[in-house]
Amino acid sequence: MHETVDPDFASYVDARQGRWLRTAYLVYGDPERAEDALLHAFTRLALRWTRVDDPDVFVQRLLYQPALNRWSRVKAFPDEDDPVKLALAELTPAQRTVFVLLHLEELTEFEVADMLNMSHQTVHGHGMSAFSRFRTALGGGDWRDSPRDSARDRARDIGGGDQR
Amino acid sequence: MLAKASDRLPEPDLADAAWAAGVETKRRRRRSVLIGLIAAVLIAVIAAIGVSLSGDDNSQFIPPITPPSNTNYLAPDGQINGIDFWVAPPSGSERFLDRLETPLGDRLQQPDNVEPLADRPLDRIAAVVLDDRGDRYVPLLLGSDSSWARADVELLPIRTGTPLSSGAVSPDGRIAAFPQPGELVTVDVATAEVFRIKMPVQDIRSVSWLPDAQRVLVSGPGVAYRVLVGESSSGDEPLVAIAGAADPSAVTAPFRLDKGAVLRYMAGGQWTVDSALQLQLPVRAWVGQTFSVDSTAARLFIADNLPEVRTNSSQPQVVAAISTLRAEPSRLLILGEPTVMSSTPMDRPYVREPGCCAVLGWYDHNTPLFQVRGWVLAWDLNSGRVRRVTELAVAGLAIGPGIHP
Repeated sequence: MHETVDPDFASYVDARQGRWLRTAYLVYGDPERAEDALLHAFTRLALRWTRVDDPDVFVQRLLYQPALNRWSRVKAFPDEDDPVKLALAELTPAQRTVFVLLHLEELTEFEVADMLNMSHQTVHGHGMSAFSRFRTALGGGDWRDSPRDSARDRARDIGGGDQR
Repeated sequence: MLAKASDRLPEPDLADAAWAAGVETKRRRRRSVLIGLIAAVLIAVIAAIGVSLSGDDNSQFIPPITPPSNTNYLAPDGQINGIDFWVAPPSGSERFLDRLETPLGDRLQQPDNVEPLADRPLDRIAAVVLDDRGDRYVPLLLGSDSSWARADVELLPIRTGTPLSSGAVSPDGRIAAFPQPGELVTVDVATAEVFRIKMPVQDIRSVSWLPDAQRVLVSGPGVAYRVLVGESSSGDEPLVAIAGAADPSAVTAPFRLDKGAVLRYMAGGQWTVDSALQLQLPVRAWVGQTFSVDSTAARLFIADNLPEVRTNSSQPQVVAAISTLRAEPSRLLILGEPTVMSSTPMDRPYVREPGCCAVLGWYDHNTPLFQVRGWVLAWDLNSGRVRRVTELAVAGLAIGPGIHP
């Protein structure tokens, strides 16, 4: 391992760090924890650079799995008044992580299950309950009462699809 | 909504920091592995030292009586007055003993054609024999390279017969000295020079060198002289009368086994009893000269009847190797009688009669050489074993340091 940074590694990190930091921020609810987690994941990748088959999966597992710790008492988004962040703060860490990965990263439930080392049913359950609680927190009714097309549009609105 | 909620975060720059942290982590891991290895080695060393110092098991270790490295070691056959003794192989069995290689060869006999010493000087004398030419004797000298040379001198017989004393060869192997009626004859084997030194008395029978190889003790019945043969560094007189003895062969230096004690030769020509070494040996008579090496003196004695070793047809004779140091043990080798004995007279040639045997010198620091009927044997003090040196086909023999290559 050279003392100077590998150019391939630098370009790989530059291309992904912004998006993953924003995702981690919503998962952890704290910008410092998010940056620390991302730096830790990239450091582990640097140690095994050129020997990892799929760097994206490697980094994301290291980045999001620590957020599932059910014993963590750190409150997400403290001192925030943004209703979206407050709605996310209402969710459990597992629900928040699944919810953000499904709707911001736009991963499938199977990809999320593989990444978080969960079963597909667990991911589906967390996703449904998180979606319901998020809507309720933002003042929306039960999504199952809404027409089908309207529900799909709302889901796209949650992820902010046209902005990316 | 989610994208909008997180779009105000600043753009990070983590590549350099992550790489540097990776390098540091790797360095720390290597250091940890190294420290772990060192700690493991240290623990192993401390554990080994602790085991070796604990000593519980070592204190119960009893060293074997027989030294394990010396597989030839023979246990002594018993003790006489606290001194270990071995019984020598019986006469008649000498031919079957292991052999000690020396320049004397397997059989020592008089050579046929011998070159004069002037044509063939020797380095060190291994042995001296006399060529009997009727009323004259000519010394034949065997070098350490097994080559023979003839000294250009004719010797007369002395009162006891052949003019050869077993202590004839100097400690450096360069000079041979012969007792002659009224004189001492010396032969330098390096230069072939012969010197004749007049003595005050006619009856001279024995010679014995001092360790400096410059002076020789010359003795007859009741008289003894110290004769300077080489260069004197301290202004010694060429000939000094010293204390004599009834047995001329008893006059030896630096030690003398005589009168039940070890006597030490003093510079003034006297012998003093080494008080710590009073010998309690069953000596009837001492035979031959005393030969010394380092702190051990060897001489043969005829013993009284030994209760430890019963003999029927012969008088037991004993080679005594007496140490002058308390820390070193003394040892005895008893020349017994033939194993198979019968009452028929044909067995008599195998019996070692008193007078047949004598100590001849030392092969090395642990191996005295002695003569028995028809053979020269070597006794290894460390192992107790006796080996054959050579079969004797000559009448008399004196051994020199050239016997040890």
